[in-house]
Amino acid sequence: MSPFHKKLFRAMFYAWPQSLGVIAVVMCGIAAYICVYSAYLNLSLTRDTYYTQNRFADFEIMVERAPETVIFKLENLPGVRQVRKRIVEEVNVDIDGVDEPRIGRLISMPSRHTPVINDVVMLQGRYFDTGEQQVAILSEHFARANGLEVGGRFQISVDNKKYSLRIVGIGASPEYVYMIPNVQALVPSPERFGILWVPEEFAETALDLKSACNNIIGLVDDPEQLDVILDEADKLLDPYGVFAKTKRENQLSNRFISDEIKGLGVSARIIPTLFLGIAALILLILLNRMVRTERTQIGLMKAFGYSNWSVGFHYIEYGLILAVTGCLAGFLLGQWMAGGMIKIYVQFYQFPILESRVYLDVLTRSMGITLVFATLGALTAAIQAAQIQPAESMRAEAPSRVARIWLEYLPFIWRRISFTWKMILRNISRNRFRSSVNCFGVAISLSLLLMGFFMSDSVQFGMDFQFQDVQREDVKVSFQKEQGRDVLYEASRFPNVRRAEGLLEYPFEIRVGWKKKDIVVVGIEKDAEMQRVMNFDLDVFPLGDGGLVLAESLADDLSVGPGDMVTLEPLMGRIDQIYEVPVRAVAQQFLGTAAYMDHGALSRMLNEPYAITSALLRIDSGSRDVLNKRLKDIGGVAAVSFKADAYQSMMDTMGQSMNITNSILLAFAGVIAFSIIYNITAVSLSERQRELASLRVLGLSIPEVGRIMYMENILMGALGVVIGLPMGMGICALLVEAYSNDMFRLPFHIARRTYIFSILLTMSFVLLANLAARRKIRRLDLVEVLKERE
Amino acid sequence: MNTTSTVETTPSVLFELRGVCKEYTMGEVVVPALRGASLTIQRGELLVILGPSGSGKSTLLNIIGGLDAPTRGEVMFRGQDLARFNESQRTQYRRKHIGFVFQFYNLMPNLTAEENVELATEISTDPMAPAEALDMVHLGERRTHFPSQLSGGEQQRVAIARAVAKRPEILLCDEPTGALDIATGKVVLEALCEINRRVQTTLILITHNASIAGLADRVVEMRDGEVHHITINEKRQSVDDLAW
Repeated sequence: MSPFHKKLFRAMFYAWPQSLGVIAVVMCGIAAYICVYSAYLNLSLTRDTYYTQNRFADFEIMVERAPETVIFKLENLPGVRQVRKRIVEEVNVDIDGVDEPRIGRLISMPSRHTPVINDVVMLQGRYFDTGEQQVAILSEHFARANGLEVGGRFQISVDNKKYSLRIVGIGASPEYVYMIPNVQALVPSPERFGILWVPEEFAETALDLKSACNNIIGLVDDPEQLDVILDEADKLLDPYGVFAKTKRENQLSNRFISDEIKGLGVSARIIPTLFLGIAALILLILLNRMVRTERTQIGLMKAFGYSNWSVGFHYIEYGLILAVTGCLAGFLLGQWMAGGMIKIYVQFYQFPILESRVYLDVLTRSMGITLVFATLGALTAAIQAAQIQPAESMRAEAPSRVARIWLEYLPFIWRRISFTWKMILRNISRNRFRSSVNCFGVAISLSLLLMGFFMSDSVQFGMDFQFQDVQREDVKVSFQKEQGRDVLYEASRFPNVRRAEGLLEYPFEIRVGWKKKDIVVVGIEKDAEMQRVMNFDLDVFPLGDGGLVLAESLADDLSVGPGDMVTLEPLMGRIDQIYEVPVRAVAQQFLGTAAYMDHGALSRMLNEPYAITSALLRIDSGSRDVLNKRLKDIGGVAAVSFKADAYQSMMDTMGQSMNITNSILLAFAGVIAFSIIYNITAVSLSERQRELASLRVLGLSIPEVGRIMYMENILMGALGVVIGLPMGMGICALLVEAYSNDMFRLPFHIARRTYIFSILLTMSFVLLANLAARRKIRRLDLVEVLKERE
Repeated sequence: MNTTSTVETTPSVLFELRGVCKEYTMGEVVVPALRGASLTIQRGELLVILGPSGSGKSTLLNIIGGLDAPTRGEVMFRGQDLARFNESQRTQYRRKHIGFVFQFYNLMPNLTAEENVELATEISTDPMAPAEALDMVHLGERRTHFPSQLSGGEQQRVAIARAVAKRPEILLCDEPTGALDIATGKVVLEALCEINRRVQTTLILITHNASIAGLADRVVEMRDGEVHHITINEKRQSVDDLAW
């Protein structure tokens, strides 16, 4: 090893807390990057492989009833590769020993297993045998959540007839990776909703659709052509009552996963940039100071004949070695975390295959990014070192130009300030670089902590908003078809039901210019208490006659605002009319992308005097079982969802995974915040050794000398807090933009205790770092320091 | 001359050092820096301490100045034994009674000449006006300059003004001209002598430049951690007469 390198390693070892700080920050950044980016790659790969292997449909068309023969016509449309007819219907599932209603989606499959579009992957058991009728393959999570196993039985009721089905297998399908019945459900609840794949003949008989179908799926040659193809298909199918046409990109399950994957991609860009930027900043401060204290040594090296380049590179190497160490540690930590992250995702999404790889490409990328940042951080130091003239370096460095602070020109104030404070103010104002670095470091630390806390705050606020302020029912009973006022009246007379309100949810295509989107319009009654439309400031939007209130993400998507007109076309086929409706207001929504309207106006648009699709009930506590038994007997119920369950399952799935990521983020933010503050304090202490020793010799006691330094640091810390607050809020606002998607929008909400916590934590880091500095002041060898030449 | 002859502490005696030992422990090795040095310092005298490096002269000065405590022995000052002082008592002692001047001036780079002097006057009970202290070293004109705008000799004179401004009992100078050329060194020495003459400040000056010895009332030669020899100058030379 060359003496140059020996010097390098010893310097690193000597300044180990700083070195460790840089390593830790790089490690956190890279670990977060690897974890998020691997998850991104793994999930994308898993999704794509799964889709291809099982021929996930490019489009889906729901019709009332279409004859088999139309399939051949569809297949002959230009650009269509393959089409499959299916029967899809929601049925009540009755499981022995389970009181609550379960909803199963019946999907017909060919009786012999051939590779088809939206194929079933067998996980357990077997596929149907030819000629078998009353058998079913169950989706995995539903079977597990309800204790159903291969060989077991359950009942379904279709059109008031009951069938007993035997379970022959457990399966999964690319169509239901994210298992929710409709867009309003938002979160899977595996015990309440699942898929039942059944033989075609059985479905045809049970649903009375002999040689016909109500659901058509297909593959195309070029997904770009989908709009044209779907328009053609629409014309062909028009006589059979088209309810909805869905492109793959809008398919519910796919939309959720793809949004999640997109979000991961965004995090993979933001997090490392933020963390590594900070690492570069610490390096910058550390190395610049090193060059300053090693001026003489640098000059000496050059006097020996080392080139500017090799001296300059020495400092870059310093940065690189620390960064590469951090990067490798981060890679290992990140791999480990990525494993855990994938486990969370597997819980949440139903992938039968899992493409989890160690991406060497990710390592080289992180290494690349790290090297760039480290070099950037070390560059100014290296340039300074290269510029030092050997002869000049042997003399003391001329201090930078200093000036008086404005306060000194106001003698009547200046004279009243105590000596200590004069010292402090002078130090701050005359070492602008050091002061701003101190201040900036604290500001960054505070913003990181704010950001760490913000994510949980935001999700918690969103959940409370959704489940306390917006949805105020205890139970939501959804019906398969529209119902009249009598059903609501009946529901309100159930035992233990204290209040019942109707809700009308109907799918529409909304169009503005060339932009269009399939949405659900929710009709809310005038005196509704249990479902309200409000924004994050908790202002309730009144729904006057005729106007729409749009969810913010939807309004953004369509680029419309209050006063604009939009076109609404009912999707379920029955009504042919097209409506022009004004946008009344735009409301922030935590979940979903619905549009809201007055119930009466919406009913009229559907040519009904009064229609509801669900009933919202408020019930006596503890009366849940009674209600379940009653509901089981009522036909036409599509789903019963208890708000408490929805909240719980949301907390269990999304909440849990978010808590884990948020805790990691917060822990990283804490590590980094402390590293920055500690480093900057340590650096400024070693810069000031001589100054502090001089004060000690003049007769200032350790506490007096300490006070000057602490007060200065605390003052700069306080200023840093003042700057850090808006900075942190800015970062949080960026996160809101980055993470919000179609389905869900992070509220920009920072809890008061987050501000308090973050500030307290930041300031206690400042105090802690100063405490460490205090030990150094105590140990300061006055004689040695003062005898060294400047 | 017998160095232990003065047993009674007369009013003219400022310091009485008896058998002062100082050992530094470096790992497992004990390095003796002073091996029983004894010395009496008279009020108002100018004492030059000569000796090769490692002879213990800086250690002796640091002990007198309260920067360091002896391992054994007594350092009597106004009836108190400095050797028994704890850290905070030593700090108070430095604050009230001691002025230090080092080879490297140790000025605060971001304070002007006057503000550097204020640093000392602010913490003492009966200081000179900073301007007066600067006048004494003939730097009154340059009081608003920052150290970077002053020459080495001028910086050292600011350091002297800073040390003198709090009216210390004794001014301790460790190689004050070590970093200066001859002409500048002479100006600095002249400033020190003038203070000794005018304010009657006791002055101890460490050097290994024997030619400076002519300025002293007494010259103490140190060797191997002990006071080897003390010479009394019948007549002090002036700075101009020094053969450098």
